[in-house]
Amino acid sequence: MLLQLNNIFKWVNSGGQRIFLLKDINLQVEEGEFISIMGPSGSGKSTLLNVIGMLDGFDEGEYNFLDESVHNLKEKLRSNLYKEYIGFVFQSYHLLDELTVQENLEMPLLYKKVKGAERKAMVADMLDRFNIVGKKDLFPAQLSGGQQQLVGVARALIANPKLILADEPTGNLNSQQSEEIMELFKQLNTEGVTIIQVTHSEKNAAYGSRIVNLLDGRMI
Amino acid sequence: MFKNYLKIAFRNLFKRKGHSFLNIGGLSIGMATTILIGMWVYDELSYNKDFENYNEIAQVMQTQTFNGEIKTESNQPMQLAPVLRNDYGDYFKHVVTSTFTFDMLLTAVENKISYSGFFSEPGVTEMLSLKMLQGTRDGLQDPSSILLSKTAALSLFGTVDAVGETIKVGSASNLLVSGVYEDLPENNSFSNLKFIAPWEFLKKNQDYENRVGWGNNWFQTFVQIQDGVNMSVASAAIKNSKLENLDAESGMAKQKPVIQLHPMAKWHLYSRFENGINTGGTIDRVWLLGIIGVIILLLACINFMNLNTAQSVKRAKEVGIRKTIGSVKYQLIFQFMIESFVVVCIAFTVSLVLVILAQSTFNEVTNKSLSIPWSSYNFWIVSVLFIAITSLISGSYPSFYLSSFKPIKVLKGTFNRKEGVVPLRKVLVVFQFAISTTLIIGTITIYRQMNYVQNRPLGYNKEGMLYVPITTKDILERFETVREEILRSQDIANVAASDVLVTGTFTTNSGFDWKGKDPDFAEEFNTLRATHDFGEMINWEIKEGRGFSREYKSDSLAFVLNETAVAYMGLKNPIGEYVQWGDSGKFKVIGVVKDMVTRSPYSAVKPTIFTLHYGRFLNFINIKVKPNRSPKEALSHIEGIFKKYNPERTFSYTFLDEEYQQYFTGEARMGKLISFFAILAILISCLGIFGLSAFIAEQRFKEIGIRKVLGASVYSIWKLLSKDFLLLVMISCIIAIPVGYYYMNEWIQDFNYRATLSWWIFAAAVFGSLLTTFLTISVQSIKAAIAKPVKSLRTE
Repeated sequence: MLLQLNNIFKWVNSGGQRIFLLKDINLQVEEGEFISIMGPSGSGKSTLLNVIGMLDGFDEGEYNFLDESVHNLKEKLRSNLYKEYIGFVFQSYHLLDELTVQENLEMPLLYKKVKGAERKAMVADMLDRFNIVGKKDLFPAQLSGGQQQLVGVARALIANPKLILADEPTGNLNSQQSEEIMELFKQLNTEGVTIIQVTHSEKNAAYGSRIVNLLDGRMI
Repeated sequence: MFKNYLKIAFRNLFKRKGHSFLNIGGLSIGMATTILIGMWVYDELSYNKDFENYNEIAQVMQTQTFNGEIKTESNQPMQLAPVLRNDYGDYFKHVVTSTFTFDMLLTAVENKISYSGFFSEPGVTEMLSLKMLQGTRDGLQDPSSILLSKTAALSLFGTVDAVGETIKVGSASNLLVSGVYEDLPENNSFSNLKFIAPWEFLKKNQDYENRVGWGNNWFQTFVQIQDGVNMSVASAAIKNSKLENLDAESGMAKQKPVIQLHPMAKWHLYSRFENGINTGGTIDRVWLLGIIGVIILLLACINFMNLNTAQSVKRAKEVGIRKTIGSVKYQLIFQFMIESFVVVCIAFTVSLVLVILAQSTFNEVTNKSLSIPWSSYNFWIVSVLFIAITSLISGSYPSFYLSSFKPIKVLKGTFNRKEGVVPLRKVLVVFQFAISTTLIIGTITIYRQMNYVQNRPLGYNKEGMLYVPITTKDILERFETVREEILRSQDIANVAASDVLVTGTFTTNSGFDWKGKDPDFAEEFNTLRATHDFGEMINWEIKEGRGFSREYKSDSLAFVLNETAVAYMGLKNPIGEYVQWGDSGKFKVIGVVKDMVTRSPYSAVKPTIFTLHYGRFLNFINIKVKPNRSPKEALSHIEGIFKKYNPERTFSYTFLDEEYQQYFTGEARMGKLISFFAILAILISCLGIFGLSAFIAEQRFKEIGIRKVLGASVYSIWKLLSKDFLLLVMISCIIAIPVGYYYMNEWIQDFNYRATLSWWIFAAAVFGSLLTTFLTISVQSIKAAIAKPVKSLRTE
């Protein structure tokens, strides 16, 4: 078992009223799963993903990640945990504009304090694997959206995470580019990476092995 | 990782060129100013430190009480040094009497050049650790010898190998050059000492032995204390060394002379004495400038912080991404610190260039010769510290602020721009402008005070007056002939000789007695000895009685007093009263003149006595050129006559106006410096708000577009963008007014004759600040206001 959410609640107080963003979420994710979180706008999909990714906290409940109780961890240990095991892919790619493709890929390794030679090898390997060796010295602005997302996925993968969290990874892409990215995810999944994606598209959800439906913060 | 940070830093710099330019520009101006001030402060603090015996040398000071007024001066009678040597010898290694430094004409066989120097006792060479190029430090033992500096030797003989040559000092007999010393460095009290002649020679030559006593405070006395002796102990021990040697009933004893030592370390910056106690001096000015330097640097750092936090929106996304791919807060802090470090390093390099460019102007204003000490280790150590501190100050806030962003907030785009930082940014702007406005107030006040003093009615007329110093007896002996010949020219109105100039009656005398004088009254008068016609020449205004006249032979024993003197002496009907002046005789008061400003125009008029004199005290020949006549022709006429009667001398003259202007050089220098800094402070602050307003206009680009579509005018948009800044500047003015008033009020109290701090000074400063802000912001806000709305709406 990779992670487990037990009775997770998350709310905000607004004008004396408590508005629930997540309500009693119970979710167990096994290694090797490919889960799609679906639901209408505002149903809490991204919030759930952020909670899983430890970027956001919650108000009640338990979260265990690889036998660590995330809800009891200190900020720094939590950061170490997701640095080690989780890679993020965003809808708007979120590459660092000032860095080239190669340097963007290198960034997570720098934060993990991987040694120089090893780092170079890993970056070269990743460029090779994603077929973007020719683009390694370009800046994000010089790439198409699909290529940027490709780099985004490559960056998420480079530190060998167990889990990839993707928040509408194809939201800004055309259908052909979307298909390529989804095929890539599927392939990664077969190689053993666990993937959780948030998506609006039934077609994309179909790539996954399981669908979690959310409505107003509840799983249905 | 470090390399990566540097890379990002440089790419960010190049990407936002305008922003980087403002950032580096502002910071480097601030740093350059601080470096200049730092060099100046260092120079001031290292004054005299080149002397090996820096910690042992002292000047002997004398404190006297004149009618309740306590004065401490370096003037000493020549009798003091022997007393210190004989009775207090255990304390001192050397005790020397010296004259004050003055200009003397040195004549070698062919060359004659005027140089400054003094007559001193032999010990002075050891005391000042003179570096002898030729001869030895014993060179002054022989009273017919003289020591020359390298400069003097070179210009007189064309070589430093001058030992054995003879030169004439003034019109006195030949002295044998017994040594040549390396010129003393510029940054010390003896830097203009180009020759040292033996005191014994002067004493004999001028017959001092027979004519000067304990009352003639004409000389200075220097000591070097014995090893292991405490300076303050020695100073306390010699306290009564003069008083012990005076007749207890004499006028001099009533002046209660107290002797003390003033250590060399304090000569330059702690030269002020109040009530006989050393209370400070120009160290105040060092502090003031030092503080201004730090403040200007701080202003520049504030700009940096402001501009960088304003960029936070642009950097927020980056922070978010970095956090999600694993960066911890401290790594981000480190990254932003490195970025500010890079900027500071570039700014430092630019500032060194600025310093080199500004150096000569700065030196002119400060009357120094400063330059960057490239080869000094300390300079580089200080520079590294300086860069580190500046990066820390300017980088700390942006780093902590930026690195604290929550990733999901900034990545979702719900990042609230107005969060937190705005109030602090406002506070910083207020701080900057409060300082700039205070400096403007200071500048205006200083210039106004100078102008006010410069226009002070003097009570005499110096127009067309010039003087020629009397350097030899020849002229004096033939004064009447010289006078008549000068007067032969149509251009000359009048000629008279005097002991001091009317612009500076520095001679003081005591030992006067008159009817009704309180026996305990220890008086001190300024005295001016002159030949006939002097009064008419300066156009003094006679209030009672008459001036000196050739018709009355008895006028050789007559006084003319100024109004202050009459009041000082308590005379009801001064005309016809008699005043006894020591052994010189009984003088009849024949006239009273209106007060004239014959000393510093900043201070009150002193009691002054004018008397006729045709003897050896005369030092200057004053000549008045008729108005509307060309001074050039008059001068060539005068020069001819001086050449005739004194062919050995180079003819030199000075207009009294120039002499008078010297009172203003110090204040003019201060005024220039302060205005220079005020301009810099404003420039830096304006760069800051220029950047900020650009940022705000950019941030509100879309809003402005929407407003324009809805029908807003250019004016209303300009108002929208400008009013916040103008409000901030107004707040800073409200702070600056009391602060400026407090400091300038303190400053102006130092002057006896002073302008009032009127309201318009503050109004002008406020107006100036508002106007510059207004212009700076308008550039940005008008640009934003006239942009086509379609453009701004399409960008989203």
